[in-house]
Amino acid sequence: MNQRLINAQRRDLIKKTISASTLAMVAASGLILPQRVLAHWPKDAFTAETVEDVLLALLGRTETTEDHMLNFSVGKPPVHAVDGQSVPVEIYSELENIERLAILVDNNPFPLVMSFELSRNVLLPFKTRIKVAEGESKIIVVASSAGGPLYMITHDIKVDTGGNA
Amino acid sequence: MVMAADDRIRATLRSGLTHVRLLLMHPMHTGRHFNAEKILIEAEFIQDIRCWRNDIEVLAIKCGVATSQNPYFSFQLTGGTIGDVILVRWVDNIGAKGLVKTRVT
Repeated sequence: MNQRLINAQRRDLIKKTISASTLAMVAASGLILPQRVLAHWPKDAFTAETVEDVLLALLGRTETTEDHMLNFSVGKPPVHAVDGQSVPVEIYSELENIERLAILVDNNPFPLVMSFELSRNVLLPFKTRIKVAEGESKIIVVASSAGGPLYMITHDIKVDTGGNA
Repeated sequence: MVMAADDRIRATLRSGLTHVRLLLMHPMHTGRHFNAEKILIEAEFIQDIRCWRNDIEVLAIKCGVATSQNPYFSFQLTGGTIGDVILVRWVDNIGAKGLVKTRVT
């Protein structure tokens, strides 16, 4: 009886040791870590196929107000791009306390291009380059601040050769 | 794994603001296009870029596939002094990482 109890304890200890060491090995091999890093990437928003779905997935709301305190410019000339591979976008704004900015292109297979999380230390203008699908598209910039409305501004653009978006 | 890359960063102090310009060298494949031999090019694109100034995180950029090849960013930071360390780290969808660092001039 006493012997069986010890054996049971021994088995239990061995099992626990094995599972603990397996877990440690998995953690050390980095199998867990990349998933944790990638979990910060909002996959739902980046794979949504309509502008509404993107806003819902990214910001949890879709009501927007148009406000020219927020604005952006697109390339030179601003309404026509020969090459959709690299369309320059410059966002500027007089709004204060913007927490998040997003650039969307409605005609791209996945509308969300980029999402920025700004701290108080970051000032606009913010310049970057995006890919835009061939044909006529709307480039949309959305800004959100804590508790404030969702600001949205839209510009039309025509692209000669598609940007492999 | 941090790749040795030709990523470029410049940070300059002008009229009391730190101007940061960042160019990352990355193919940014969307995963929906074919090469000359009609073979699908696997998706490979930067997903997450983070920027620190003197160990304080100031900006996080999440990118989708429609970010241009060799992504370029330009933005400004409030204040700052010459010698501040601006550090940028990025990670792409297959786990490749990069780090680029400069001092404000």
